[in-house]
Amino acid sequence: MDKPAELLEREESMPKRIPRKKRYNPYGFSGKTSIFMHVMLGTFAFLCIFPFLYVIIISLSNEQSLAANGYQLIPEQWSFEAYKYLWQMRSQVVQAYGVTILVTVLGTLISVSVIALYAYAISRKQFIYRKQFTFIAFFTMLFSGGMVPFYIVMTQFLDLKNSIWALILPMAVNAFYIIIMRTFFMRTVPEAILESARIDGAGELRIFLTIVLPLSIPGIATIALFSTLAYWNDWFNALLFIDDPNLIPLQSLLMRIENNMDFIKQNAMLSNQNSAILSSIPQDSARMAMVVIATLPIALSYPFFQKYFVKGLTIGGVKD
Amino acid sequence: MKKIGLLSLVFMMFAGVLAACSSDDSSADSSGDSTDDHVTLVWYLIGTPQQDTEMVMEEVNKYTKEKINTSIDLKLLDWGEFGDRMQVITTSGEEYDIAFSSSWANNYSLNARRGAFVGLNDLMDEYGKEMKELIDPAFLEGAQIDGELYAVPTNKEVGQQAVLSFNNELVEKHGLDLSTVNSIEDLEPLLAVIKENEPGVTPIATFDAHLPFDSVLQGELPFAFRLDGNTDEVINKYEEDITMETLKTMHEYYKKGYIAQDAATSTDSWPLETPNWFVRKELYQPYAESVWSRSAGYEIVTRPLEEPHIFNGSVTGSMQAISATSKHPERAMMFLNLLNSDPYLRNLLDKGIEGTHYEENEDGTIKHLPARIDNFNMPSFAIGNQFLLKLYEDDPEDKWEAFEEFNANSTPSPVLGFYFDSNPVRTEIAALSNVASEFSPALLKGAVDPEEYLPAFNKKLEEAGMQKVMDEIQKQYDEWKENQ
Repeated sequence: MDKPAELLEREESMPKRIPRKKRYNPYGFSGKTSIFMHVMLGTFAFLCIFPFLYVIIISLSNEQSLAANGYQLIPEQWSFEAYKYLWQMRSQVVQAYGVTILVTVLGTLISVSVIALYAYAISRKQFIYRKQFTFIAFFTMLFSGGMVPFYIVMTQFLDLKNSIWALILPMAVNAFYIIIMRTFFMRTVPEAILESARIDGAGELRIFLTIVLPLSIPGIATIALFSTLAYWNDWFNALLFIDDPNLIPLQSLLMRIENNMDFIKQNAMLSNQNSAILSSIPQDSARMAMVVIATLPIALSYPFFQKYFVKGLTIGGVKD
Repeated sequence: MKKIGLLSLVFMMFAGVLAACSSDDSSADSSGDSTDDHVTLVWYLIGTPQQDTEMVMEEVNKYTKEKINTSIDLKLLDWGEFGDRMQVITTSGEEYDIAFSSSWANNYSLNARRGAFVGLNDLMDEYGKEMKELIDPAFLEGAQIDGELYAVPTNKEVGQQAVLSFNNELVEKHGLDLSTVNSIEDLEPLLAVIKENEPGVTPIATFDAHLPFDSVLQGELPFAFRLDGNTDEVINKYEEDITMETLKTMHEYYKKGYIAQDAATSTDSWPLETPNWFVRKELYQPYAESVWSRSAGYEIVTRPLEEPHIFNGSVTGSMQAISATSKHPERAMMFLNLLNSDPYLRNLLDKGIEGTHYEENEDGTIKHLPARIDNFNMPSFAIGNQFLLKLYEDDPEDKWEAFEEFNANSTPSPVLGFYFDSNPVRTEIAALSNVASEFSPALLKGAVDPEEYLPAFNKKLEEAGMQKVMDEIQKQYDEWKENQ
């Protein structure tokens, strides 16, 4: 998103050698528009980043000053107490990190390969049953069995309770991405290329791996990014299927704390017993510290993804 | 042709799922009441999963195997998710044996009505004799739905008593006299002193006004029975004079700045460790003040707002139910009997392993080792008979005697044992809940003027179908009363 802005900046900083003639400017923004765009995008970027900065500040605040003054932009007292607390429960946090990373990496690989293969098959006119298979995928976008049947299938037929696969498989195939990829394949990979490959003697697998895949990197990158984010942020499957404390992903750890807090608020009558529940809930600053460590890695990896992503789109997109 | 082929494929898939579903149900076989076969029971309990659960359960299983040839597979589900998880588990018909149930999580009366739990009267007579003698009869009678008990209640404080608790440091600093405080109205002079002299302190840690009724459904809904006077008639508690009076007082306090200005919407939980409050409302159990003082780090004193009453909510506050999907209900009952009558098992499940999680002193009292808090912090009140628990060294010696006395002094609510079946009026209740959650927090916390908002609230309730629910409650109550 900030790419055009960057480019603009470069254009503007160039000395105007030929003042009379209008310089060729493919992006076509005048000075005023450019300032306006900068301010608007800058404000928008600030609005996006500000909450996260705030979270970081709260995580570095002293707990007492939080209780006394509420959340402040510049806390009365800074403190690393929250991160020390996380360090104390590092075995749990590291474990959860491990689960999240494993699920994200494995899940993204599986999901991208399944989606790409399925989409490629139904994108090819030679495949007789492509309409039926497209329909089967499409059907699940409109109707779903609901939570209870989903739960029954997962626990009683597939026996996936307390298994790492319960976190991976439910999100491995996404009908919407299949449809996107199918369209992408049909648009970017012309039949002529495939034909020429066939004339050169390539088999179906070879065509897919050495011709179709490299041409479709932008589409695959998009889907990989989405499914990485989805796996990283998923907590619901863990909530449904995981009791084993060693298999809980990071987001689910956060979600449990959140749920426990809501629970206490709703059940004031339990005040006698609250100490037992409260002890399971870290303090404000520690919760924010958890948000920071849960979000930071994915937020930091995003620019790398994005760079690749934009490049892929510009190279592969306009060909015809 | 193609379409037909596809349709039949879809149908076949459905049929496969259905067939697999139904074949599962029929496989339940009834095991006899002997303990010849070794069985493993799945037990869902509320509480944060603990690291040392496996270690302790190994000890537990050694003991239960020897006693009743049974192993226990304990699954702890965290506080906030227990209710949702149990709902999915029950609806999906998943097989399990024992589950925690209560009025506030995995709702007892709802699940019992729905047939999710096994009726326990006969099982208890046969396999639960020991615990039946130990558990206060008030629990066993109060928790019966139409004459049948559906879960084993935990033996603990049977009554519910609202108290005001005070930050004693401030009480002593300003030489305040608490002995005259018996109601929220009596607080006025004390609050004035605190407001004037303690700028950093919010006098009232936000609480809902105390209303002396027995609520039929959730507390914010209007339906309730009076505790004295004409107790046979369901009322709208928001139309009672005493409600208006109390809420006026609360609003008075709010206007004078005794209550936080964002009380209606704030989610602040007023943690005890932060002494920025003067008075709060809590539910009492014997020696609660010493527990609170311990977790607060300064002294807390209390004044009762009412005599302890036994409500449906308090007798069903913590129970263990046997699932209708269990293949071994007899064995589950044997285990619950052991859990509620055998001090060794009960303490093991609660305090952990001696030497690892706690140390026993010579006089039989115990003290925590760090591992109990860090790795085996179990929810004591949710497990079973509390009176079997060993005392901590700083516990008062007569702790459980005091509980028994408290229980003996608790008066049953006139409608104790009447569990309203809300199924016939579900839509109305959903609509009423919406109205109630719009008005009641602001009203009960004193943030808005009751003279203006209470009538508006009642009008909206009326429009949302309150009368129909009232009639249904009254009808069910009359039927219930007749059978008493």
